[in-house]
Amino acid sequence: MRSPSTIYLVTRTHGLRTHLLSSENVKTMAKSRNISEIVDLLMRSDYASEIGKLPSDEIDSVRLEKIFLNKLTERFFILARNAGGKARDFLDAYVKRIEVENIKRVLRAKHAQEKIEEHNLIPLRREYTLINFPALTEAKNVEEMVSLLRETVYAPLNERLDNYKRVELSIILESFLEGIYFGRVWERIKGLDNRQGPKRLVGEESDLRNLQLMLSMKMRNIAPTLIEEMSIPTFYRLRKERLTELARGRLEDAPGILAGTPYNKIMEEVIKTPNSAINLETVLSRRIYQNASFALRNLFLEFGYIVAYLLLCEREAKNLVTITTAIDLKFSEEDLQRRLFL
Amino acid sequence: MSVAGRAAVSRGILLRLREQLEFTKKGQELLKMKRDHLASETNKLLSKVAERNELDRRLMQAYESLKAAYLSLGYTGLQSQAAAVDKMEIRVRPRSIMGVMVPEVLIEKKANTNSVSSSSASQAAVELNNLMEDLIKLVEAESRLESIAHELMMTNRKVNSLERVMIPGLLELISYVEGRLEEESLEEFFRAKLVKQVIRRGKK
Repeated sequence: MRSPSTIYLVTRTHGLRTHLLSSENVKTMAKSRNISEIVDLLMRSDYASEIGKLPSDEIDSVRLEKIFLNKLTERFFILARNAGGKARDFLDAYVKRIEVENIKRVLRAKHAQEKIEEHNLIPLRREYTLINFPALTEAKNVEEMVSLLRETVYAPLNERLDNYKRVELSIILESFLEGIYFGRVWERIKGLDNRQGPKRLVGEESDLRNLQLMLSMKMRNIAPTLIEEMSIPTFYRLRKERLTELARGRLEDAPGILAGTPYNKIMEEVIKTPNSAINLETVLSRRIYQNASFALRNLFLEFGYIVAYLLLCEREAKNLVTITTAIDLKFSEEDLQRRLFL
Repeated sequence: MSVAGRAAVSRGILLRLREQLEFTKKGQELLKMKRDHLASETNKLLSKVAERNELDRRLMQAYESLKAAYLSLGYTGLQSQAAAVDKMEIRVRPRSIMGVMVPEVLIEKKANTNSVSSSSASQAAVELNNLMEDLIKLVEAESRLESIAHELMMTNRKVNSLERVMIPGLLELISYVEGRLEEESLEEFFRAKLVKQVIRRGKK
């Protein structure tokens, strides 16, 4: 039996879902000829209040991206703040993905000793995070940055510092951060009463992230031992042995290695696609969002509905960023449609 | 007015003129050698510069990959991925080719794109990085070509002026001086003969 707090949260999510843009809205936007046409359409949505604050001559894809990401953060944290008990623990851990992305951004900049400012990060209000991002952005190097994280959940990052120094690849630390993130979310799923839906969505996402990481590294001819080291240690339907085999095998053999898992078809699609490196993220993310859409239709009164909603919020932000950027870069409508997650 | 019209005439001057002619001919030979070397260098560089069209095509392809990455990551996302690239380090030093100072670009450290975590951004970074090396080589070849072409033009002018003005002028001057010296020696010979005749008549 579902707890009243879960029922409340799911009901609340049903309400919030009506604020999401429909596929038709997104398709119409993709047909726009310029940014002002998109803005006209967005003025009838949740983004209106923020866009309305911008002077019309200053509206461009970069400013709009900030607004979309800001809205995404708000949508993520509204639910987390309204939850209680184990659901709150889970959602708190789940929405940390924004924090993790920001840490990764700072990490990349520190690795290349580039200057980074807060406006380069996804807008995240101080009340939503325990990480002192202003201090992180001021850190002199990766070591100092990692030391600033020692009192947080990302403290184990320090253990990978030697590895990072040895190979001088920031991606080692990035994948470890993902590992920490998925590990924490996975742990909190166990506390939920109604864990099947979230488990499937988070588990498949973790598997697909692992696949993305593996393939992307293989395409760059990174040493198999290093690829294995980088895998996210949260396995759902993709066992560790398969990942090891994948890391050691040839790229062309990937669909065969994944036979019997739900990912062999997607792998065939990735391998067949021309410019597979470019389309890898799109293909795998599409699968994650398809799972979310499926869950949204089928887990109507389950906790999984909330996770699906959060994923669809992310999908909406990505779609809007893609559309506005494509309009700015004068992409053809067909090209744009192919890259949307509908 | 010809050069010969103003020249003083003596054996010493003739010797100096001959030395000058010898020196000028040697200079002309050297300049011709320099011209040939610069011309062959230009030919080599021209074949490199001809690769520009291919580079343009590859640049457009890399730009398409970059656009695709931009599309999937957005502005801030792509900016962050770009920050993970270890920068390329280059050094420009002057080099002399037959006395012409040309720039030589040395790639001291290649950019490392392995830290780019997004596969689309990584693909764009790899394509652009491979292209960057060739672009630098093209820029180096083009700037070399510019300096060498300028020097080639100057050398050609010098060779032409030596060949058509200086050497014919010196030859003309030498033959004038030789002619004058021959006339003078004949005059001297006749004068000595006359003097001998006068002395003989006086004795009789």
